[in-house]
Amino acid sequence: MSFHIEAITVLLNGLQQGAIYILLAVGLSIILGTLKFVNFAHGALYLIGTYAGLLFALEINLTSGLLQEWGYGTLGLDLGYIPALLLVPVVVFVVGLAMERWVVEPFKDRPDTDQILVTFGLAIVVQEVFRIFFGSSSLPFSQPAWAEGAPQVPFLAGIPISSWRYYVILITAVLVAIVYLLVEYTDFGLVVRAGTRDPEMVELLGIRLSRPYIAVFGIGAALAGVAGVVGGPLNPVNPTIGNDILVPAFLTVVIGGVGSIAGATLGGVIFGLTYAILVATFSSWAQVGLYAIAAVILLVRPQGLLGEEGVAP
Amino acid sequence: MGSNGGNVDRRDVIKAAGAAGTAGLVGLAGCSGGGGGGGGGGGSEYPVLGNYPIEGDTATLGFNVPQSGPYASEGEDELRAYELAVDHLNNGGGWVDSQFDDLSGDGVLDYQIDSVSGDTATDADTARQSASRMIQRDDAIMVTGGSSSAVAIAVQELCQREKVLFMACLTHSNETTGANCVRYGFREMFNAYMTGQALAPVLRDEYGSDLEFYQLYADYSWGQTVQESMNQFLTETAGWEQVDSVATPLGTSDYSSYLSEAANSGADVLLLDHYGLDGATSVSQAVDAGIDENMELVVPLYNRPMAEAAGAAIEGVFGTVAWDSQIDNTPSQEFLQVFQDEYDRVPSGPAQLAYSQTLQYAAAVERAGTFYPPEVIRQLEGYEYSNIGMGPETMRACDHQAQRDVPVVRGLPESEQQEGRYFEIINITSRDELGYACDAGPAAECELGEYGDE
Repeated sequence: MSFHIEAITVLLNGLQQGAIYILLAVGLSIILGTLKFVNFAHGALYLIGTYAGLLFALEINLTSGLLQEWGYGTLGLDLGYIPALLLVPVVVFVVGLAMERWVVEPFKDRPDTDQILVTFGLAIVVQEVFRIFFGSSSLPFSQPAWAEGAPQVPFLAGIPISSWRYYVILITAVLVAIVYLLVEYTDFGLVVRAGTRDPEMVELLGIRLSRPYIAVFGIGAALAGVAGVVGGPLNPVNPTIGNDILVPAFLTVVIGGVGSIAGATLGGVIFGLTYAILVATFSSWAQVGLYAIAAVILLVRPQGLLGEEGVAP
Repeated sequence: MGSNGGNVDRRDVIKAAGAAGTAGLVGLAGCSGGGGGGGGGGGSEYPVLGNYPIEGDTATLGFNVPQSGPYASEGEDELRAYELAVDHLNNGGGWVDSQFDDLSGDGVLDYQIDSVSGDTATDADTARQSASRMIQRDDAIMVTGGSSSAVAIAVQELCQREKVLFMACLTHSNETTGANCVRYGFREMFNAYMTGQALAPVLRDEYGSDLEFYQLYADYSWGQTVQESMNQFLTETAGWEQVDSVATPLGTSDYSSYLSEAANSGADVLLLDHYGLDGATSVSQAVDAGIDENMELVVPLYNRPMAEAAGAAIEGVFGTVAWDSQIDNTPSQEFLQVFQDEYDRVPSGPAQLAYSQTLQYAAAVERAGTFYPPEVIRQLEGYEYSNIGMGPETMRACDHQAQRDVPVVRGLPESEQQEGRYFEIINITSRDELGYACDAGPAAECELGEYGDE
C-alpha cells in the first residue's frame, strides 16, 4: 500500500478520534474556565446524549432492564439521524440548565474536591439509573445508511474509513467554529470572558453574571450531547461509556489549556493523532504513549499548550 | 433426609477441628459420627477439606459471571441458565429428568441447592475477589463461571488453593487446560487449538491456499493463544502466510485505527480474534469502513449475543461456536425448549455450557455419593457422556479438557437472520479430527496438581 494512502488514513483516523474529545473538551473547558467548576458529570451528559440520540434516531429492541420487564421491549422514535442531531442538543441543554441550577450553583464556591465528589457521584447515579432501565447490554447504534462504507469519491477512494467518520469531523468543525465565534465576537462572549477575568468588576458594572453562566453550562452540556449522538454509532452503547470517556476528555482539556476553545481543539487533535500514529507504529504502546505525551506537555507547559497562566484554577 | 440436630453438631465439630488443624481429632470425630450421614455432604468417612463438609442441609453453588464489561451479554445469559439448572436440580425438569440418570430432581444427595452470584466485571482481580467471597463468606462448595479466559484462569487457581471445584464455563484459551490447568478445574468448552484445527480446512476450501492473512487479537491470555493457534493451523493446514498480528487492548471501543492498518497491509484475509462485545464492535466497524469489500473477515470464536449485536456485519463471516440451538439432537432441542419456556428467548452457547456444567457437577456428586471434592474429581476424570447435545464426549483425565466436537458456522445475511438464528452451521467437526495427545499440544504443559487427600 502506498505511503500517501497510509499517511492520509492515519491523519483522518486521528482527526476523527480527536473530534469526539474536542466536542467534550470544549464544553468542559469553558465550564471550568468560566464558572471555575470541575464537572466530573460531563461524561454523564455524553451518556444522556448517546441514549437520547439512539432513541430519537432509531428503534431498538431491549433484551434486559426494567423497561423490557415492563413490556417496553421496543423503544425509539425512528426519526433518523438529522432530527436526532437537532433535538438532542436541546434536550441535553435543558438537562444542563437543570444541573447548573441544582448542582453547580450550590457547589460553586466550595473547594474543587467537593465539586469532584458531587459530580462524580452524580455521574455514577446517572450510569446506574440507565443500567436499571436499559440493562447492562450494549445496544446497537448503527451508522446512518447514507454514511455506511468508505466514501466513493476519487480522492478518498481506497481509504478504509467509513463516511460517518468524515461527517463527525465536519460536524465538530462547524460546532466548534460557532462556539468560538459566539465567545469571541458577541456581547454574550464579551461578558463571559470579562467574567472569567474579573467577575467582581463585571458585577460592579451592573451586569448579572448568573445568566451568562447558566447559558455557558447549557452550551457545554449541549456539546457533550452532540458528542454522544455523533459518537454513538462509532462505539458500543452501554451505561459505562460516560465514565470511560471522562479521563481522555479531561486529558484533552489539560493538554490544550483550561478555558481556551482553541486549546481544547488543539488538545483533541494532538490526542487523536498521537493515538493513530502510535497504533500504526508501536500499537502495543498506544495507550501508554498517550499518557506519556500528555505528561511531557504538562512538564514543559503546566498551564497547557494554549492555556494562560493565572486563568487556570 | 437422615440428618438431625446431632448430625449438624458433629459437622461443626469437624469443621472446628479442621480449622485448628488437628488431624487426629478429625479422625476421631469422624469415627464417632456413626450412621445417618453416610451419603451426604457431611459423610463421616472424609476429613475436612475446602468447604467440605457442608453445614446445614443446603449446598451453595457460586455463579461468577461478567455482569458488566465487554462480556456482560454472555454473562447475563449464563446466569439465566445457571438459575434454570438450580431450579431443575431442586424441582426436576429439563435434562435432570431426561438426560442425567444420576440426578433425581430432589436436590443433590438430599441437599437442597442454593446459589450466590457475583460480577466478575470481565476482570481477573474483580473475579478473584468475587470468587473468594463466595468461598469464604457463602461457603460455596463449587464455583462456576467465566467468559474471559484470564478470569477463568485466575479463579481456577484460587479454587485449587481453596480446594473448591471450579467448573469452567466459557473459556477458550489454550492455557486454561494447558499451562494453567489445575486438578480442581474442568473445562467442557473446546480451546483455541481445536478452533484452529476445525477452522483452517474450511477456510482453505472456501478461499483457496496461498493467501496472506492479518490478525488483530485481544491482548490477554485468550487472544494470544487464538492468535498462536490460528497462525499455526492456517500456515500448516491451509498453506497461508501471516503478514502481521497486532494486539488490541481488551475493552477497546474504537478499532478504526487498528482496522485501517490491517486494511492497508495488503493481506487477503483479516482475522478478528475478539470476543463478546469487542468482537461485535470490531467486525461491525470493519464492515462500516468497507474493509470487507477487499478482505475476507474471520471471527474464530463467536456466539449468539455477539452475532445479535453485530447484526448485518457477520454476513458470510466464518467462525466456531460452543453450541447452537440449531444443532439437531434430542438434548439440544430439549434445552432449547425449557430455556425458551422459562425466558421466552433462544439460549446461547454460553448458556448451554453454564447449564450443562452445573448438572455435570451435580451428577458427579451423586455418583461419588459425597460432596468431598477429591471423590467428585475422580468421578469426572475420564468420564464418558453423551447427554449435553454435543455427541459422545470424554472429560479427559490428563488435563481435564473435554474431548468433543466443534461446530463451524458462517454468519447469515441480515435478511435471513431471525431471533436466535444468526448463522448457518457449516459442519460439526468430529472430535476424531481434532485434539491432541496428553503429551502434545497444550496438554504437554499441563500439571494438574494435588487432589488434596494424598
